[in-house]
Amino acid sequence: MRRAILGVILLFAAPLALAQTIKIAILGPMSFVQGEHHWNGAEMARDEINKAGGVNVGGKRRQIELVRADTNEIQSVPDATNAIERVITRDKVDFLVGGFRSEAVLAMQEVAMDNKKLFLGVGAAHSKLGLNVEQNYDRYKYWFRVSPTKDVDLARTLFAVLGSIGQQIRNDLKTDTPKVAILAEKAVWTEGLVAAAQKNLPALKMEVVGTWQPSAVATDVTAELSAIDRAGAHIVFTMLSGPVGISVGRQMGERGMKAVAWGINVEGQKEEFWQAAAGKAQFVSTLDTYSEVEYTPKTIPFVRAYQARFKKAPTYTAATYDAIMLLKDAIEKVGSTNADQIVAYIEKVEHVGTGSVATFDKRHDLVWAVGKTSGIAVQWQDGKKVPFWPPNVKGMQPFKMPAR
Amino acid sequence: MLQDILVTGLVNGGVYALLAIGFSLIFGVARIVNIAHTAFYMLAAYCFYTLLTRGGLGFALAGVVAVVSVVALSLLCYRLVIEPVREHESAVLISTIALGLIFQELMLVAYGGHFLGVPSTIDGVVRLAGVSIPYQRLLILVVAAVMLAATWFFLYHTRTGLAIRATANDLEVANLMGMNVHRVAMVTVGFSVGLAAIAGVVATPVTSVHPHMWLDPLVIMLAIVVLGGLGSLKGSVIGALIIAYVEAITVFTLPEGAHLKGVAALGIMVAVLLARPEGLFGVAFEEER
Amino acid sequence: MYLLRRAWSEIRSEILILPSRSLVLVWAIGLLALPLVYSDAYVLRILTMTCLFAIFAASWDLLAGYTGQVNFGHALFFGAGAYGSALVSLKLGVSPWLTVWLGAAVAALFGYLSGFLCLRLRGSYLSLATLAFPLIGLGLLFAFPDFSGGELGVSGVQRLIVGATANYYVACVSMLVIVFGLWMIADSRFGIVLHAIRDDEVAARASGINTPRYKLAVFALSAAAAGFAGALFAHYLRVAGPSTLEVALSFQVVIWGIFGGVATIYGPVVAVFILYPLTEWLGSFKEFGELRLLIFAVIVLLVLLFMPRGLSPWVRDKIEAQCPRCKQRNGAWRKICRLCSAPLQAQVARAQRLVGHQ
Repeated sequence: MRRAILGVILLFAAPLALAQTIKIAILGPMSFVQGEHHWNGAEMARDEINKAGGVNVGGKRRQIELVRADTNEIQSVPDATNAIERVITRDKVDFLVGGFRSEAVLAMQEVAMDNKKLFLGVGAAHSKLGLNVEQNYDRYKYWFRVSPTKDVDLARTLFAVLGSIGQQIRNDLKTDTPKVAILAEKAVWTEGLVAAAQKNLPALKMEVVGTWQPSAVATDVTAELSAIDRAGAHIVFTMLSGPVGISVGRQMGERGMKAVAWGINVEGQKEEFWQAAAGKAQFVSTLDTYSEVEYTPKTIPFVRAYQARFKKAPTYTAATYDAIMLLKDAIEKVGSTNADQIVAYIEKVEHVGTGSVATFDKRHDLVWAVGKTSGIAVQWQDGKKVPFWPPNVKGMQPFKMPAR
Repeated sequence: MLQDILVTGLVNGGVYALLAIGFSLIFGVARIVNIAHTAFYMLAAYCFYTLLTRGGLGFALAGVVAVVSVVALSLLCYRLVIEPVREHESAVLISTIALGLIFQELMLVAYGGHFLGVPSTIDGVVRLAGVSIPYQRLLILVVAAVMLAATWFFLYHTRTGLAIRATANDLEVANLMGMNVHRVAMVTVGFSVGLAAIAGVVATPVTSVHPHMWLDPLVIMLAIVVLGGLGSLKGSVIGALIIAYVEAITVFTLPEGAHLKGVAALGIMVAVLLARPEGLFGVAFEEER
Repeated sequence: MYLLRRAWSEIRSEILILPSRSLVLVWAIGLLALPLVYSDAYVLRILTMTCLFAIFAASWDLLAGYTGQVNFGHALFFGAGAYGSALVSLKLGVSPWLTVWLGAAVAALFGYLSGFLCLRLRGSYLSLATLAFPLIGLGLLFAFPDFSGGELGVSGVQRLIVGATANYYVACVSMLVIVFGLWMIADSRFGIVLHAIRDDEVAARASGINTPRYKLAVFALSAAAAGFAGALFAHYLRVAGPSTLEVALSFQVVIWGIFGGVATIYGPVVAVFILYPLTEWLGSFKEFGELRLLIFAVIVLLVLLFMPRGLSPWVRDKIEAQCPRCKQRNGAWRKICRLCSAPLQAQVARAQRLVGHQ
């Protein structure tokens, strides 16, 4: 009898309890590393907020409920649009967070904007996503990119670090003009970067010995690397987002190349990289988001807690944490979950996250600034990812080069 | 640059040849277009990886166990899935596609979409004509050469090999002559999947292991066997070398077009087919109808 | 009144007399009426996709099933339609209502070209060579990113029409019209020639049929239908990206086609209507949603073990029988043929089914 009463109470209480939650869909390719970190970062944010009593919406405490949506976007774009439609119309979520493959995110952006749902992008770097906001504000204003910075701004960080590595080579090897080989996967996002590198490097007193553009999914780059070897490059300037990054890291090590790799190597940001390259990727360096350094006051606690909970370091898609924290802040300040009000608030706010200090421009992209949104540079040294740039941040270590 | 092209092409051609001759053999004997062929290559790689890094077995033992178990699995699949629908060509075709997908998804579930690295069997590089070549690649070349020789010996100097060639030549007559064509088909499947598994074991240390690793070699392998002529072993070997050299030449002469190496390889295949619809060494099917 | 009665008698004698045709009628009416009773945006989106892929699968069947040109690179046509229509509508600002036709025309051109390249190829050579075509296309898309948008594709494409229900009707009506059209073509004299080419090309040529011309025509026709589906797809998702050319899509259509039963046109459509929503439904489960492709492949494999000729021929043989004398199809419950009144003995019909399978 008591159980029956309890059941009846629960039955009536359940809708009430549900109404109390704020539903956030986490969209990502859940069978893959990117999706896994999307979800992990979101879970950390949820647990932290809910443990502290939830989100204060105009005086009422509401818990956060996550909806896990496998977009399968790496394998199928229609699957991704189906998934986002499902969470919006079936699960009736309030907010959307995530996305990774630019082609799929563009299609998902359309569905979200049709439904006027706030969509915080975490993962896709393509500038077209932000350009939409600028060109058609009324339709696309519900899109924000919380991570990473747009592709064009990545160039600024890359050249800044390249300059300091070049200086180190000048000192160590007593050469005036270090030789740089550009190794960029063939893709739209690298196009501007490659052109900028070819133009700017001579100004930085570096010589470009050639540009190689393998496919993003190439598993074999021996031909490219032996050509680079022959050209006598000191630095291999990489722009790789696909699995080709692993092949480059591993095969450079296997050949015992004296050149050092710097640039973007998305696979190199992952903890699994060292193992995937079979321990051969010594001194490969890349732009990254998270490391145990005091980038923002929140970085170290977050990275440590993440490591303790999931037994691995976060990659940049774990910035779903920042996205949800930003949402919580916005909802509490605005006092409601109304998307238009939240958009107006986020446009003005400066949010101190774990991976960046975020302010947004008119494309709803992160405003680039060293030490705020530039990210950090890391190098693989004996199986550990060691941060070495920007130099003014506490906890940085020296950049190393293979012995000649 | 010439020596770079020569060496790179030769080394890559070795792996391609290992995959292509197995596929060609199955097609020649059993007339199965085995889309899952490279999926077995992938399974062998996973198996080898697991035994080596998690099971703590040595290279040789892990390799042998991986090859044997993948061959056993392939025979099981053949028995359970392919044989019941043998008469229906299209059903066989999509069964092999479905098998490939199943293996891919199973690996995705078991290991996730991670890229896994298999340690090199032998470390170090050798410098040859000014080109540095990792020993692992030389090993691949040697294994490929040995396996090619073994295949040749098996087909031309054993009774089973004779049976296989006879069946490939004319299945019905072979059957009438009292050969057990089903058993011949089984042996062929086992043997060619074995070749693919060996390729998986020796070649994965130069790439990485992941659930979609079977698709790229699949396309290249199909291009090779079509180029060389379906069912022809000589064609497969020469086709493998052609494709590997086309890729190497593309990368070395056109660095900014390195991503086009696959396109160049496929383009060569189409060009050859335009001139010779049955491939370089294929048998014209005109009279067979 | 007379016309109405005439129509009714037509329907009764041509459609209701056969269970398979009645099923098709019920299904078509059901599809058209669905949004009136149930207009959930999510369900409509899934069905819209299903309709587009159904066109795609049916077009593959005309080429592969009827003519025996088992194309492994059918995604090329889908992609050509998508890119063709998206690019013209975006760069020149032409209304998408016009450019979808243009997309189909571009695809037809690609179909003609591939057909031309494949004229001398046969059997497995043709399948494996066609597999390469979309991959070559994919490589070229990446080589000219200013034009194609590279890995991102062409985005911000204009919509055909706004609203879930409207989009659904566009897809659904196009699907019904195109599939019915393809079925009519396959059933016409033209279709019979295609059959002849598949079964024995040399004999067909010996009977004075210009087989290359027919093959080119069917390549272009099938590609046009696939391209139309691709163009609708691009305007629906507002993105035409490289994923429309991937091997996965080419394989997917082969699976749909063979699973449903080749050389039927409606078979692949049935397969898409079963498999696509099924995979999506499986994906909606939190516990095993990520296993959807695995479950999908296992289902395909198991079904084929029991119905190696595909699903719809198997079902049709259960509910209908073929007259041994005049080869007309009859409901399975009939004792004598509806046209020539020959007795429909189960044994004979069964043997006929095995021999006389299309």
